[in-house]
Amino acid sequence: MFDYQFFIEVLVGGLLSGVMYSLVAIGFVLIYKTSGVLNFAQGAMLLFAALTFVSLVERGVSFPLALLATLAIMVLLGIAVERVILRPLVNQPPITLFMATLGLSYVIEGAAQLLWGTQVHGLDLGINDTPFDIAGVFISQFDLFAAAVAGALVALFALFFRYTRTGLAFRAVADDQFAALAVGLRLPRVWAAVWTAAGIVAVVAGLLWGARLGVQFSLSLIVLKALPVLVLGGFDSIAGAIVGGLLIGAIEKLAEVYVGPFFGGGIEAWAAYVVALGFLLVRPSGLFGQKLVERA
Amino acid sequence: MNKSVPALSTKANWLTPGRVGVAVLLVIAYGIIPFAGSEYVLDAILTPFLALALAAVGLNVLTGYAGQVSLGSAAFLAVGAYAAYNFNLRFPELPFLVSLLLAGLVAAVVGLVFGLPSLRLRGFYLAVSTLAAQFFVQWALTKFGWFSNDNPSGVIDAPTLTIAGIPFAGAARRYVFSITIVLIATFLTVRLLGSQSGRNFIAVRDHEIAAKVIGVPLLRTKLLAFGVSSFLIGVAGVLWAFAYLRTVEPAGFNLDRSFQILFIIIIGGLASIRGSFLGAAFIVVFPLLLSRLGAALLGNLFDSGVLEMSQRIVIGGLIIGLLIAEPRGLIALVDRLSAKALLKLRRPERAPIQL
Amino acid sequence: MSSVATADAEILPLTSALARERVGVGAADGRVVPAGAAQELVRDAARVAPPVLALEDISLSFGGVVALRDVGLRVAEGEIRAIIGPNGAGKSSLLNVVSGLYRPDHGHVQLGDRRFAHVPTSRLAGYRVARTFQNLALFKGLSVLDNVMMGLVHRRRAGFLQQVLGTPWARREEAASRAAAEEAIGFLHLTEAKERLAGTLPYGLQKRIELARALVAHPKLLLLDEPLAGMTLTEKQELSQHIRNARDSYGATIVLIEHDIGVVMDLSDRIAVLDHGSKIADGTPDQVRADQAVIDAYLGVAHDDETELAI
Repeated sequence: MFDYQFFIEVLVGGLLSGVMYSLVAIGFVLIYKTSGVLNFAQGAMLLFAALTFVSLVERGVSFPLALLATLAIMVLLGIAVERVILRPLVNQPPITLFMATLGLSYVIEGAAQLLWGTQVHGLDLGINDTPFDIAGVFISQFDLFAAAVAGALVALFALFFRYTRTGLAFRAVADDQFAALAVGLRLPRVWAAVWTAAGIVAVVAGLLWGARLGVQFSLSLIVLKALPVLVLGGFDSIAGAIVGGLLIGAIEKLAEVYVGPFFGGGIEAWAAYVVALGFLLVRPSGLFGQKLVERA
Repeated sequence: MNKSVPALSTKANWLTPGRVGVAVLLVIAYGIIPFAGSEYVLDAILTPFLALALAAVGLNVLTGYAGQVSLGSAAFLAVGAYAAYNFNLRFPELPFLVSLLLAGLVAAVVGLVFGLPSLRLRGFYLAVSTLAAQFFVQWALTKFGWFSNDNPSGVIDAPTLTIAGIPFAGAARRYVFSITIVLIATFLTVRLLGSQSGRNFIAVRDHEIAAKVIGVPLLRTKLLAFGVSSFLIGVAGVLWAFAYLRTVEPAGFNLDRSFQILFIIIIGGLASIRGSFLGAAFIVVFPLLLSRLGAALLGNLFDSGVLEMSQRIVIGGLIIGLLIAEPRGLIALVDRLSAKALLKLRRPERAPIQL
Repeated sequence: MSSVATADAEILPLTSALARERVGVGAADGRVVPAGAAQELVRDAARVAPPVLALEDISLSFGGVVALRDVGLRVAEGEIRAIIGPNGAGKSSLLNVVSGLYRPDHGHVQLGDRRFAHVPTSRLAGYRVARTFQNLALFKGLSVLDNVMMGLVHRRRAGFLQQVLGTPWARREEAASRAAAEEAIGFLHLTEAKERLAGTLPYGLQKRIELARALVAHPKLLLLDEPLAGMTLTEKQELSQHIRNARDSYGATIVLIEHDIGVVMDLSDRIAVLDHGSKIADGTPDQVRADQAVIDAYLGVAHDDETELAI
């Protein structure tokens, strides 16, 4: 007898954790869509944000104040990255910029831990983690909260893109950089704003993941989970990041539970990648990504 | 400056500066270092340097020359190490050199498999798919005890290197073994890169569409790049396990290791064999220098945690700085400086006329 | 000028090899005006020999945008055929269809006696078709000589192991490629720069390198996408001469996209005019120059209420 209840439980758990992946992926999409840069340092930014917040709180700073301070620091980081790294490299091929973000991730990781130390911190967001029992299916309260927060953030971004001038500027730059220049948009400002937005996403994602896994170095490796999500959803689509995240989250958990035992477990580590790879071979630009027309 | 490796010259003039340089290098490498070098220098600096340099040469073939970004090179180090270990263990009659070659071939085959996506994927998408190799290999080596002869957590102890019955046990002998393998492998690689195949790599890297139109066999070229690259990295893995560490585990071939090799070729110089050696030397020597410097400046404050983090910051910063200021890597810097120096040597300053 | 000018649109330039044979003209000088009887032979040759390139009803669209609409084209052997038209008319798209980089929605491409719905790009070199690109498709990391040698890669048979080991077969192939490349480099006056890295050279030279690479295998059909773009007047004159020589000395048939109308009128035997994806005119330079549709769309005549279009 197939245990449907258990299946739904695993599925829901997977979907919810997938939302968390989406959150990280959205940070990537923001930057990639507007500047063509795949920001490998997004994970390091996550770690930095989480560490900063947690260390401030541990030193007695109040929750809201610590949050504000962390946000402010991430804004400064965004501006600094634009000036120091992006501007000098503006005409280089995307792969060069990717490697620069690789270097950046090392710098941020090193700086974060040099500043705040390398121990593991617990992060308590005040959510009671007793699971809800819905028709016999257990759903983690924390996961639901995270999903709600992520959903709210996505909705906010959607509104932002549609109804604010900066949001419009983002979309213009994402569509066509030259045209954006032609209508007078200052690209460096837009990029600084984009990186700041990604920084905000990093704070939210960092706090949520930190609460879930504990704030430690391995947080920055979440970025590695975001990559298959981007592959599935397309690198330049927020909708794709969401759908991709949900899919990857679900597939991962289901694979671990139902396929894992054949391999002795632990396939969570690479299941997402294999799925992404298989998917790529069929549809190289992802579900929602723009098909690249090669112009000779 | 001609970056493309020229075809071997058939000139009658034998004693070119290049050849003299190589001869000097060989004399130093074989005649002086094994005898004069301390155990520490041989064991902790030169042997890992050689293994990493070979790995960097391998990655450079794929990423620097053929333009296929790979983030999972450590996986092939692991494949080479574990394959050699298993061949050596299960076929003890096989001479070690044969095991070495077979291990390289196994790594090449694995490389071909994970290189197949390169036919449909480019740039970031390809880089992501190479990560699949990284995670999968690490997982497989840990999960399946067969690879490590059922040792706990996949650790393997490499037996003493024995070539034709002669044990290569001491630091000096392991160094000589390493440098011999590395020199032969590098020589063959240079020949490959100077041939039509090498040109095909660069063509695919620089303009794949034009390459396709003029008739470069894309599939074969990319697969050759993946195969040769993985072979070289696999052999480097054998050196890593047998000549250097002698005890290895899957965790030592993690993503950080892959990035380390990638950083070596960025720092040293993409599409430069000399750059691969320079970059490897830097990566090996730099932490040692940094720890000495840190201890001198900060004393007790400078513990291993601080060292590791400062290392990360400096390496990361160096990568960024190089990509901005000298994307062709340290080797371009070295070439420029030495060209200036040579110019000065050839035109010695004349003393001003005294009146 | 290279061709016999008559009112008959089917006349081939005299440098068609077959015609040359029949009339007994030396290969080096194709500019002899034949007597009346010879003209007949040339016309017969035109009808017997299949066109080097024929496009039938090629249509192509990207998403909702129509790039090409039922375009037909015939290019006879030894012709220099120009394709002109305003930007976005579909000229490059047409060349990309011929080289198999785009798959047309319908229509066929005929190369010699082979007919394709989708030209296999990787076999173009084997069919002796070569092309240059609008945005320069050089291998910037290779020297000039290496770049031009790449034009012969389709002839290399020795595998990588043979190349590494330096077997006689591999060495011979390498030497042959090198010799042919040096000849093409000489033909285009690039010898001085041959060891230099292609990416470091000025634009005009790079254009010549790309042409040399396309010519080195002595292609039957040469597709040139704006080969003179961005050049000075002198460079244009030189390169036009090189293109003419390519046809005269190498016997290539040339399809040429170009914006410089003066060059086009001077160089080509026949011209096709595209506008918004459709062919609006096709004929000799004189015919095209006088065609009203072409003037309206492209060449431009000052109307009272419009500003003059200067090309």
